[in-house]
Amino acid sequence: MKRLYTFMSIFVLLSLMLAACAKPTPTAAPAAPVGGGAPAEPPAPAPVTLKMVAWDIGTTPYWQAVIDAYVAKNPNVTIELIDVTSAEYQDKVNVMLSGGDKSDIVTVKDIPGYSAMLTRNQIIPLNSYVEADGLDLSVYSGAAEELTFEGSIYALPFRSDIWILYYNKDIFDRAGIAYPDNDMTWAEYDDLARKLTSGSGADKVYGAHHHTWRSTVQLATVQDGKNTVIATDYSFMKPIYDMIVGMQKDGIIMDYGSLKAGNIHYSGVFKNEQIAMLPMGSWFIGTMIAAKNDGEVDFNWGVAKFPHPEGVAAGTTAGTLTSLAINANSENKDAAWDFIKFYSGVEGAKALAKTGNLPALRTAEVLDIFASLEGVPSEATEALQTVTVRLELPMHPKVGAVEQILNEEHELIMTQSVSVDEGIASMTERVSEAMAE
Amino acid sequence: MYSLSNPTAGRESEFTSRRFRSGFAKVGTYVLLCALAVLMLLPFLWMCSASLKLDKDVFRFPIQWIPEVPQWNNYVKIWTQIPFLTFFGNTAKLTVIITLLQLFTSSFAGYAFAKLDFKGRDLIFLAYIASIAIPWQSYMVPQFIIMRKFDLVDKHMALILLQAFSAFGVFLMRQFFISIPNDIIDAARIDGLSEYGIYFQIMLPLSKPALATLTIFTAVFVWNDFMGPLIYLNSQSLKTIQLGLRMFIMQYSANYALIMAASLVSLIPVTALFLAFQRFFVEGIATTGIKG
Amino acid sequence: MQFTYPKQKKAGTGQKTLKQNLIAYSFILPNLLGFAAFTLIPMAFSLVLAFMHWDGANVVTWAGLDNFRRLTQDETFRIALGNTFYYVIGTVPPTMIASLALAMLLNRPLRGRDFFRTTFFFPYIASLVAVAVVWNMLFHPAMGPVNQLLVTLGVESPPRWTASVDWAMPTVIMASIWKGMGYYMVIYLAALQGIPPYLYEAADIDGASAWQKFRYITLPMLTPATFFVSIMLTIASFKVFDLIMVMTGGGPGRATNVLVIHTYNTAFREFRFGYSSAIAMVLFVVVLIITIVQFRMEKRWVSYM
Repeated sequence: MKRLYTFMSIFVLLSLMLAACAKPTPTAAPAAPVGGGAPAEPPAPAPVTLKMVAWDIGTTPYWQAVIDAYVAKNPNVTIELIDVTSAEYQDKVNVMLSGGDKSDIVTVKDIPGYSAMLTRNQIIPLNSYVEADGLDLSVYSGAAEELTFEGSIYALPFRSDIWILYYNKDIFDRAGIAYPDNDMTWAEYDDLARKLTSGSGADKVYGAHHHTWRSTVQLATVQDGKNTVIATDYSFMKPIYDMIVGMQKDGIIMDYGSLKAGNIHYSGVFKNEQIAMLPMGSWFIGTMIAAKNDGEVDFNWGVAKFPHPEGVAAGTTAGTLTSLAINANSENKDAAWDFIKFYSGVEGAKALAKTGNLPALRTAEVLDIFASLEGVPSEATEALQTVTVRLELPMHPKVGAVEQILNEEHELIMTQSVSVDEGIASMTERVSEAMAE
Repeated sequence: MYSLSNPTAGRESEFTSRRFRSGFAKVGTYVLLCALAVLMLLPFLWMCSASLKLDKDVFRFPIQWIPEVPQWNNYVKIWTQIPFLTFFGNTAKLTVIITLLQLFTSSFAGYAFAKLDFKGRDLIFLAYIASIAIPWQSYMVPQFIIMRKFDLVDKHMALILLQAFSAFGVFLMRQFFISIPNDIIDAARIDGLSEYGIYFQIMLPLSKPALATLTIFTAVFVWNDFMGPLIYLNSQSLKTIQLGLRMFIMQYSANYALIMAASLVSLIPVTALFLAFQRFFVEGIATTGIKG
Repeated sequence: MQFTYPKQKKAGTGQKTLKQNLIAYSFILPNLLGFAAFTLIPMAFSLVLAFMHWDGANVVTWAGLDNFRRLTQDETFRIALGNTFYYVIGTVPPTMIASLALAMLLNRPLRGRDFFRTTFFFPYIASLVAVAVVWNMLFHPAMGPVNQLLVTLGVESPPRWTASVDWAMPTVIMASIWKGMGYYMVIYLAALQGIPPYLYEAADIDGASAWQKFRYITLPMLTPATFFVSIMLTIASFKVFDLIMVMTGGGPGRATNVLVIHTYNTAFREFRFGYSSAIAMVLFVVVLIITIVQFRMEKRWVSYM
């Protein structure tokens, strides 16, 4: 009898599972939204609870700040945050969504995650909502276009970080060298870094620092807009790789292998005054302000525009987008839309700026809020002005696979396991193979 | 060493040289053990050192083993920055429940696989072993789907059901039961003891070292598990220590000083557990049972 | 003293066999039920997926042998397979010998024995991040003590360890032996308690040397434990993931990419769950063959006693 029961339960389970996996593709477009959540005053709105998946809630104040602002205006709505650790965020979300989770709002952390969710219809296109509400997407200065895939947009951006150059003013002063200006080419950056390098052993000061991320090298190769990191021929990356590998060989920047083996984080070496210049994302401004307030550091630091290749306008930089999407399994899509519209709109942007983060929607008013925060260096206003912002990774269905290949080859070049030419040839070959599949 | 506890076996002529040699060997043994112990304790020492530093100094080279200004405050911060006490309680609860279930069901099944003869035994056992061979990463999604069907996501029950029945435990217990001589069991059967009686009155008392091993392994596994809680727990009030530790790792930075401080605190219960249970690995426990 | 499988009981009526079966099943069912529902079934499902295309969200479609055909053209799979065998062969024998040696050493009445036992088990319970950090620091290419020692000894260009394509795997293997030996030592320690002291007493009377006692009493008596350790260790080594992820992330390049990392990447970076299952299936078959061989050997070992 017990065996029979086992077998029966196995069968029941199997059929349940097959049913779960064979669920039909969600319809590509949502049913025509009715008024998109109706911002007017309908008679006593029914209470709604929205679930939102996000990361690092304990240490990231803006989630709750914007939610509070929204709930103050929409008292019938309750927002429940599901906290996931940031490093494992996309993995957990993938498992949740594959398992049919019904959370309403999914935060989109990066482009590979965005690509994965939209190509598999786990998040819904928002075009009909955008049209119904007459939303102007041009306010995001190009970010909305970057998120558009085959004519549809699946997420609204709310946070956008750009790459800038941080520098240690004290090191520059000691060396008697003028601070970097807002219009510097990569070649000038290289020269400057060489002048700033001094000392040896544990007291050595490096002129610049490139963290172990692939982007710290490859962003500069796509700044001119002629190529993206998804390419059929990667020879355009050669000049920048030659420059960085040269700096590494000459001891101008720390050795990649040592950084990896020593688990060395860019914030540690900058805070300990071991480096003069650091190309890094604008998120680091907040980190430095906090470090100064806590008394962890006591030197002066500043920021400048990201260096650029010869012939490219100053203020051209690269950026990352954080955006919000609606789960295809959500049962409150209209309410969710109303929330993400607020979150990525002007009011959300103001609340975000007050917490020391850069919103995707950057009106003069919003930027003023950010610049007037205590501790933000005076150069920031100028340094954060951009001409063009390019995404670190473009939207593409195979971006995940390509990123993996580029990371591996980047590592081989930087550990000098292969020459720059060999590494680039290998990128070209492997990426075209992956594309052909 | 056995000859030491059995002096009657000593041969007079060799006595002095043997004592000299064994003394020499003893010193050598201690030197070797101490050297190994230092090598083994390095991560522990590094954790202690890192937990007392400012975060920016944690990975600084060369390693400064004793921080100039020890940041004892780190040990206060871990209790205030995250609900560490809640996480501690949840982890302890899961560890106790899962370990008890694991001990009971695994030793029960292990006995049958080792000492009973039944239809399909080898096949089922092979299925157990085979299951160990499949990487967990490849069935994580189907497993999650089943749990969702049972509406167990975001409940401790999901983790309990997932980890209380392991092939590892069954296999471990089977191997230990196999090495217990059949004579004892046969004698008991002749005395009219049922299989349950044999299991409870003879096998369980004999398998203390094995049960201690399984306790240590299961408890350490559950205590340190990260991926299970990550996938199945959403609510803050249900989360475990390992999830809490990751809360010190942010999107663009990580506070390794606090991670190490919290890790050290979380190591105390498992270390205590190991110390308590390793005393079962003392010669003669099993054998006194056999003789008696 | 006989250590054998329970003898086949040929005698007995059909009824008795049924009763025996029921009793036996009552022993395994508590475990088997939970195990089947939450582990075996998802596993079976994942193996079936090897013959399907699935992106983790939409309809599952039949793929036949497509996924396996793909394996033959996948360069990363070839590299990962090679690396996996490299890792297994490098890890299993030294860990077994080291853990047995440690257990023998710490089974004697030594002063501070509890301390040493805990110490050697410690790498297993210590945070994996701390383990990775410490190993990477010891073997740091520029400032690590290992390389400083090598330079002092006159080695002109010491290996760059995890930053080098050739040395990354040996470094990972050393870390894994170091981390694993205390764990398997515990199993041997527990098993050593099952050896009746009168066997050694008898051998002493016969004037057996320490080596003879080890060779003819300890080792044979440890066979079930050795069998367990060899299977668990082999399987665990084939499935290595965490340690490599925190130490090298599979790099530099693909130098330490192993099968489970590749499985994981194809499933969670490229969303080819079917293909990912096919890779897991290869792993499964390899491990299964090795396990069955070990099982056969177990029966032979047992008959020697």
